[in-house]
Amino acid sequence: MPVRLPGVLKSRMIKFSLSAIAFLFCAFVVGDELFYRLASWPKPSYNFKENELTKAKTMLGRVLFYDPILSADSNISCSSCHSPYNAFSHVDHALSHGIHDSIGIRNAPVLINLAWQKTFMWDGAINNLDVQSLAPISHPAEMGSNISQVVKKLNRQKLYKKLFFDAYKDSIATGEHTLKAIAQFLITIVSYNSKYDKVMHQQAQFSPQEQNGYKIFKKKCAACHTEPLFTNGDFVNNGIGVDTLLNDLGRMRVTQRKEDAYKFKVPTLRNIEYSYPYMHDGRFKKLGEVLNHYSNGIKQSETLSGKLKSGLTLSANEKVDLMAFLLTLSDKQFLFDANFAYPKEFLSKQ
Amino acid sequence: MPICSMFLFSLEHINAQCLTITVLATFNNQGLIMNDTVYPLSDNHRIKFESFKFYMTNVVLENNNQPVWIEDNSYHLVDFDDLDSNQLCIEIPDDLVFNAIKFTLGIDSATNASGVKGGDLDPSKGMYWTWQSGYINFKLEGTSNLCNNPKNQFEFHLGGYIPPYNNAQQVNLSVANPNKFKIIFKLDKFVNALNLSEVNHIMSPNQFAVDHARSAARCFEITND
Ligand code: HEC
Ligand code: HEC
Repeated sequence: MPVRLPGVLKSRMIKFSLSAIAFLFCAFVVGDELFYRLASWPKPSYNFKENELTKAKTMLGRVLFYDPILSADSNISCSSCHSPYNAFSHVDHALSHGIHDSIGIRNAPVLINLAWQKTFMWDGAINNLDVQSLAPISHPAEMGSNISQVVKKLNRQKLYKKLFFDAYKDSIATGEHTLKAIAQFLITIVSYNSKYDKVMHQQAQFSPQEQNGYKIFKKKCAACHTEPLFTNGDFVNNGIGVDTLLNDLGRMRVTQRKEDAYKFKVPTLRNIEYSYPYMHDGRFKKLGEVLNHYSNGIKQSETLSGKLKSGLTLSANEKVDLMAFLLTLSDKQFLFDANFAYPKEFLSKQ
Repeated sequence: MPICSMFLFSLEHINAQCLTITVLATFNNQGLIMNDTVYPLSDNHRIKFESFKFYMTNVVLENNNQPVWIEDNSYHLVDFDDLDSNQLCIEIPDDLVFNAIKFTLGIDSATNASGVKGGDLDPSKGMYWTWQSGYINFKLEGTSNLCNNPKNQFEFHLGGYIPPYNNAQQVNLSVANPNKFKIIFKLDKFVNALNLSEVNHIMSPNQFAVDHARSAARCFEITND
């Protein structure tokens, strides 16, 4: 019969093993307890001066992220579509249902390493993480509320009086403080602890298969999915072709320029194992389908990226190796990081 | 102690000169009344207003084309449903001589690109787009039997900060009597320039929005009444 550890001891052991991992890795990790990253990474683009990270603000943001109070019927929270166990993307859902404008026709992306991103959404319609939350809060098919209503509801709750006071020395919730706190929490969601990262810092070794996959990746994919964040931040048409029912124009919707038609933001590939389905409309369920797309499914069109015009040939063996490499981008510590999890201590339900 | 600080506070108040500028909207030379009042248009058409607000920003006072006062942190939301908001208090030094006022109708590009702000710029004021970043500079909503849609509604949400659809407009007004003046927005002039049966719904940055913002900028006047 297995011996059950008492709760306290168990949590100590978890803490101990986590700190052992952190210790091994710590020479390469910079930041304070709120925002870790690898020293070799580029500088984040988020403006920390305008919205300085603090523990209390991050905690407020985390509670708001998980609290369905943000939706009109108090049923849907940010985490309904951005689940931590799916690298903050939508479990198994390609699209939200039944509406006609942009967000409802798109697949919820992962929320990873947002501090390095300059624009948000698949078409870059949002120019600053601090205003991001306005979109889901107001969208009729998502949370169907609006920020003034949210602020009113928050101001009626004791819990938030305390959290807002701790964060801003003012117990009254405002739109500005609500939005900034959520952005603060989003900023802290950083994934840097995958096998790939450990290999890059001589803490682990690729298998021969992964090594070969990495070689192929650098040759065929890295021009867009650029290391170490696995995106170059560009808007590109990667040849998946238009879903004629949705006819999503992508970047052109924002710039209104024909040459931007059907271009979408290059997504990160970190934790790609967990963030299915894939692409802006979630059309591929499996990573294998994505690789088949790049090797023999590219659809020609006027705005197709020059890098893909003549296709990317991948043999069956190359696909297997490439897949093995992509799985090294999974970061289990990230998925189960207690700092990103549902804040039980504040939200009692489920 | 409390008495002392009250005293200091009131002293300070006397020293700071508050130039109060009243901003009024008129329709056919009458002060605008929202919600209930139905205004006649030509050919038996009618119009009613439910929401009217805009941003006046970057206020500058000039004397003989030279700026003499530039307001700091200059963002004012004027909302004709909130009577307090159309009294702008501009703090100016004593004895300032000026004969013109300049402002921007709308929010400049830099502010649009720099995230969430508080006060009059707080997104809970309903002047921030949600599905795409950027402030709404000018919002006018209501109904008219000229609008060929189920509820006869019109909605003008004018904004946008990315070229070529940069929406903010410069307004320059000369002020003959700086001791006693009001800024008025001639809403009838704006409405008469509309083509409500064809265009009654502008909700995103585009050329229509720019054209309508230009038209709005021409509707400001100074009155000395
Ligand atoms: C009903 C599902 C749903 C809910 C609820 C939801 N989102 Fe999203 N989220 C999406 C979809 C879909 C997109 C992509 C939309 C697009 O590209 O137009 C998205 C995009 C994002 C992005 C941009 C990521 C990137 O890489 O560009 C962020 C950040 C984000 N959501 C945060 C939030 C926050 C914070 C909340 C709660 C306030 C929230 N979401 C609630 C579905 C949802
Ligand atoms: C020319 C730029 C470009 C190249 C080269 C490229 N990609 Fe992509 N990739 C994109 C874009 C853009 C998207 C998003 C497209 C969309 O959703 O419409 C994307 C999406 C993906 C996705 C889905 C991610 C998600 O979260 O939904 C995967 C997986 C992927 N690419 C893997 C690869 C692999 C593997 C290679 C090399 C064989 C590769 N890509 C080469 C631009 C590129």
